[in-house]
Amino acid sequence: MHIPDGYLSPATCAVGYVAATPLWVVASRRVTRVVKSRNIPLLAIFSALSFIIMMFNVPIPDGTTAHAVGGVVIAIVLGPWAAVIAVSIALLFQALLFGDGGVLSFGVNAINMAVILPFVGYAVYRIAAGGAALTSRRRVVAGAVGGYVGINAAALAAAIELGLQPVLFKSASGVPLYVPYDLGKTIPAMLLPHLTVAGLCEAILTAAVLSYLQRADVQRLVPNHPGIPITAGDAAPRPSRLSPGKVALAVGIVLVILTPLGLLAPGGAFGEDAPGDLDLGALGLRAVPAGLEKYNGFWSHTLLGGYGFQSGDHANLAYILSAIVGIAVVMAVVFALGKVAQLLSAASGQEQIEAEPHA
Amino acid sequence: MRDATAPPETPAWLLRQPVALCPCGCIGKRQKASYLERTLTGGSDLMHQVMFSEDVARLPGVLQRLDPRVKLVGTMLLLVAVGLAHHITTLLAAYALVLGLAWWSRVALAFFIRRVWLFIPIFTAIVVLPAAFSVVNDGDVIVHLWTWNGEPEGLTSQGLFSAALIIMRVAVSVSLAVLLTITTPWGRLLNGLRGLGVPRLIVLTINMSYRYIFLLLEAVGDMYESRKSRQVRAVKHDAAARATVGASIGTLVGKCGHLAEEVHQAMVARGYRGEVHALDATKMAAIDRAAALTSVVLAAAILSGDRLLGG
Amino acid sequence: MAADPNDHDTLPADAPRGAVFVCRNLQYAYLDRFPALDGVSLDIMPGEMVALLGANGCGKSTLLKVLDGLIHPTSGTFHAFGELVTEEHLEDEQFNMGFRSRVGFVFQHSDAQVFSATVRDEVAFGCLQLGLGPAEASQRVDDMLAFMELESLADRAPFQLSGGQKKKVAIASVLVMNPEVLLFDEPTAALDPRTQSWLADLLSELNAAGKTIVHATHDLHVLEQIATRCLVFSEDHQIIRAATPEEILADHDLLLAANLVHQHPHTHTKTTGTITHSHVHPTTGHHE
Repeated sequence: MHIPDGYLSPATCAVGYVAATPLWVVASRRVTRVVKSRNIPLLAIFSALSFIIMMFNVPIPDGTTAHAVGGVVIAIVLGPWAAVIAVSIALLFQALLFGDGGVLSFGVNAINMAVILPFVGYAVYRIAAGGAALTSRRRVVAGAVGGYVGINAAALAAAIELGLQPVLFKSASGVPLYVPYDLGKTIPAMLLPHLTVAGLCEAILTAAVLSYLQRADVQRLVPNHPGIPITAGDAAPRPSRLSPGKVALAVGIVLVILTPLGLLAPGGAFGEDAPGDLDLGALGLRAVPAGLEKYNGFWSHTLLGGYGFQSGDHANLAYILSAIVGIAVVMAVVFALGKVAQLLSAASGQEQIEAEPHA
Repeated sequence: MRDATAPPETPAWLLRQPVALCPCGCIGKRQKASYLERTLTGGSDLMHQVMFSEDVARLPGVLQRLDPRVKLVGTMLLLVAVGLAHHITTLLAAYALVLGLAWWSRVALAFFIRRVWLFIPIFTAIVVLPAAFSVVNDGDVIVHLWTWNGEPEGLTSQGLFSAALIIMRVAVSVSLAVLLTITTPWGRLLNGLRGLGVPRLIVLTINMSYRYIFLLLEAVGDMYESRKSRQVRAVKHDAAARATVGASIGTLVGKCGHLAEEVHQAMVARGYRGEVHALDATKMAAIDRAAALTSVVLAAAILSGDRLLGG
Repeated sequence: MAADPNDHDTLPADAPRGAVFVCRNLQYAYLDRFPALDGVSLDIMPGEMVALLGANGCGKSTLLKVLDGLIHPTSGTFHAFGELVTEEHLEDEQFNMGFRSRVGFVFQHSDAQVFSATVRDEVAFGCLQLGLGPAEASQRVDDMLAFMELESLADRAPFQLSGGQKKKVAIASVLVMNPEVLLFDEPTAALDPRTQSWLADLLSELNAAGKTIVHATHDLHVLEQIATRCLVFSEDHQIIRAATPEEILADHDLLLAANLVHQHPHTHTKTTGTITHSHVHPTTGHHE
């Protein structure tokens, strides 16, 4: 998943650095503030561990190998900000010692593997594990799922970065200057090996390390899991933290990110063509039907017309933006309606309570 | 209770005449390298590479004498210039420049070329060549390979141009990065990073990580070699093999934690309380200023030469 | 005003005057489960060379770490240079600085101790942490590198060195801070014979210059050269004997009980037949 130099335009690399630098600053501040000075050797060693993990070739059935990153494991043990630093350092070594991943594209690689991977993986882990005891099997499964989702999120990000290159950076004659594959090709090409091989590697790695720590050294998990009982017997049973709200939020976020996939489809949705796009000949018509003509364009006061920007550029970004705006508007309206309903029912309930005598 | 001074009984089978586990007593057949071998050799290759790089960094070449900060900034400038080039001619000229710098720094050119081209540019070629086919991206077919529905299909000129451009760009970029790292000892490179504003704590962490990569590699090597020396049959890539990898990594994590505590104690014992102080970075010499200026000039030359060649 | 026995800040009444370290009833258990010290009391006087003897796992390393304020006992008191040493006291910057500059610790595994990019950086680390200016620190570093014959290795990465060289770097990095007390954990372990004897000479020299040395070892070979007093630990994590090296080495039963020597059948072959008997291997005078 490491992107070498030359695949991305300097502009994309600059964006990568601009996005990564404040995150690095925040990460180093948070990490050194939390537990005095003890973190530095721990971070260094986990970063070396991440490097070694990326070197570990895991056998897959046909006799070849693939590799994991280890970012989610570090996030689970030390917290996601520590994972940002540890994986960034491992990537630095890979770029400089192995030439695996470029120097200019270091920022972009760090965003993918050192930011997106640990944070997404850790969030999924937290949601899936809930309040389960540290030694429970559920934590191991949650870790595996987190690892799987995290590495695929990173792969998707890398695919988007690569796929945008021929769209944004072309020579005067329209020839792509950097990566010649557009989104329609980079996304399946990156996601397939990660959904299958690499995702499994990361999941297995996370699960294996977690279960080892559960058996051998569970104390190491305690600092990053405040308030979680160590064994199931340590605390009274609590309601599951996997509330419908949280699950819905997670699903919603995933769906928002996936909205631009629709742009890959060659044609439009059935029955939604604008009058100008109608193929009149094929339909056996000589003119646009009168009603369609009259009412089309009835409502033209739009913010993001057709889910896109005015100029038609950056369609994918516009799609995601539309999705976020749409969800925000709908949630705001529903929330407002809910509040009104609550106020109304509280007012009527108050009368009822006052009417009933206390038992 | 057993007498404390008497050693435990030796098992009987250990004292019998040794019999090879294979009844015919043969040595065995050669098998394809298993994942064990690959991880082991990968680790020792890495060590070898880095050892080698320290040797080149000690030669009396021109790049070795420069301040690492100048080299870092200069490399980034040239990488950006190369990244912005639109013509293959520009990239070829830049590559010649890099080769010249390498030669001037006493780097063996055959080694340098091999180290750069094996593996990333060749890998890039494999990845990018499919884009040159007209079935993938539309274009003017210049190498006619087959016909489909009356249309000639094959390699397109745009595709080949694009492929050549990216392969060349990757090659020059990797060459620049490799040149930087083999002419600079690791310690001085880190000092350069610090001089450019990277927080001291991060540099200390990087320093220690570098150090522990080797420690861990040794630990991994020991674990694998001890497993390999007990491996009688060929290694199967199955669930048991994967479980071994999982357990090895788990053990490494455990070792990591204990090692980190010892290291922290060693630092605390010498007065560390969270602030890192270090010997100051060296001053810039005239040659460094000249080199800085030269890299700016070269980057500008590459860019303007590229623009002159056409839009 | 009589000293309040419950006031832990004051030295215990039975502590000898001018003692460098005073420990009373130290208890410590790793992870609250594995006991390492079970009621250990001792006094270290300035200028002594004290050897802590005992088999692996008896608590010697733990005691050394307590003496350097790296871990803190679960009960019992530890006074250094007349002041009580606790985790809270070490939070105070001045106390910490004073303590760290007067006590140096050389770890058993040099790998944990040498972590800088170059030997020069490694040796300079301690001085700079204590607040010496870069010029003075540089000077001290050069002097120390010359003293330990490490000049040719000054710009090498420490982890690329051999075991003996790493040990020298570790020692140099501690000596450069010029501490009054030196703590060594298994100093001769994993060293070849020539380096071992060099190290023994160095320890004698440092002691002659006035430094107090406390070292943990289970190596009896050079004991008489590098110890004026020995404290023997039992496998129950307690001190069972305190005496001079000669007395300890002569006490075979004690050595056996503490698992410092072994006993095995030993065969002499003569023209009239073989004789097999058991005896203990003391380290001195065995083959005279």
